[in-house]
Amino acid sequence: MTTTQTVTAPTEKTPRRVPGESGMWFFVLFESLVFTSYFGVYLYYRAQHEAAFLRAQSHLDLWLGVLGTIALLTSSWSVARCVQTARVGRYRLALRDAALTAGFGAVFLTLKSIEWARQIHMGNTFTSGDFFQYYFFFTAIHCVHLLIGFVALGVLAYQLASPRRRSQEIVETCATYWHTVDFLWVLIFALLYVAR
Amino acid sequence: MKRLAWRGDPKRELWLMWYATLIFYNVFTVVFFVLTRTQPPAPPWYDADQATAWFAHRHQGLLVGFALMFALGGLSMTSTALITYSIRRMSVSRAFAYSYLILYAVSAVPGLLLICLAMTVGAMRPDRDPAIQHWLYDFGFLSFSGTMGVFLVGSLIWMAAILLDKNRVLPRWFGYLNLCNALTEVVVSPAWILDRGAFSWNGTIAWWINVAVFGMYTGVFITLLRNMIIREDFGTGPLPDLPPRKPRQRAAAEVAEVAS
Repeated sequence: MTTTQTVTAPTEKTPRRVPGESGMWFFVLFESLVFTSYFGVYLYYRAQHEAAFLRAQSHLDLWLGVLGTIALLTSSWSVARCVQTARVGRYRLALRDAALTAGFGAVFLTLKSIEWARQIHMGNTFTSGDFFQYYFFFTAIHCVHLLIGFVALGVLAYQLASPRRRSQEIVETCATYWHTVDFLWVLIFALLYVAR
Repeated sequence: MKRLAWRGDPKRELWLMWYATLIFYNVFTVVFFVLTRTQPPAPPWYDADQATAWFAHRHQGLLVGFALMFALGGLSMTSTALITYSIRRMSVSRAFAYSYLILYAVSAVPGLLLICLAMTVGAMRPDRDPAIQHWLYDFGFLSFSGTMGVFLVGSLIWMAAILLDKNRVLPRWFGYLNLCNALTEVVVSPAWILDRGAFSWNGTIAWWINVAVFGMYTGVFITLLRNMIIREDFGTGPLPDLPPRKPRQRAAAEVAEVAS
């Protein structure tokens, strides 16, 4: 009796890799840890003075926060599209998606400026109590990240613009940074606007 | 023979700078955290009498500690020199290295020396008018903690140089860590406005978290500079990889041999 043995060829394992540079993922991890510590401090003080925080929080316009969140989430979608279209070599389309991402980022920044102006007009400034210290701190440090995001988008567009460059790794690295900015905002939005 | 090998080692100046950097950060920690106890910073809400009592309580420590810092403070430039060297070894314009050198040399005045001067002046005559002691107290702590932003642009320059470099002098993830460090420098700015809470000069966010990040960043860059010296081949192209642990001494001896 013969037994037939099926010899399967060893499947070639493609090395798993993260999108973009691994160094950028180190940044994502480290920055997330730093923000987690900021959030921890905020939640601790919030628990100490819950009534005062809730009173101050009621001055925020939830809908402005929601609109800003939608703008940033849409920008994340367009930058993801940009990566995908660049992967298949449709660079003109990818450039259009990058411009769209910057546009949604600018919408978020405009909404944030309107919100800040309204709060200051209502007398809520950085020195108007604990909640507004955190509100202005979190939104301002996030906007600094967003401004750096515009630089990252500039690098991305520079890569896509010329056939001599077009490094997919750099495109993905810049997109990863942009997603981080979005991710941090979702956490800030949940803590400042939604959590009661 | 060992002594001869050291004399012929072209890396000896680099090692000298690296060990000087190590000594400086150790002296810095002992002076600020142990001798003078100016770190963690005292509360910003102290009134004139409390500030005067604070100086009186630390009289000897402040005088001895900062005398040591005035004698050895110049060692702070050794890390700046090594970092400038690392940028010069990269495939980027020399403008990065010179900008970094000038920025950090200038930043050492508000970032290190002003607190030493103000606190020494305050400690020297504890019977001085409390209003003046209070002024020196505020000036000392604000100049130290509040001016962290002066290091922001320097960190960004180092980051840009690392990310543009083709010689692999420092890993790219460290370029991004520079960005994290630069962003925490911004966070200290509210200390100019608030005198209590998480954003004051001794606050949880403005000081404690910042110092944790800065401590990690410093430990990482000192280690990476050490690795850079080990990898240095005095060429102009990409730096070789770090040799495995055992053959390192052999590799160092070979470099010394080639150089001599």
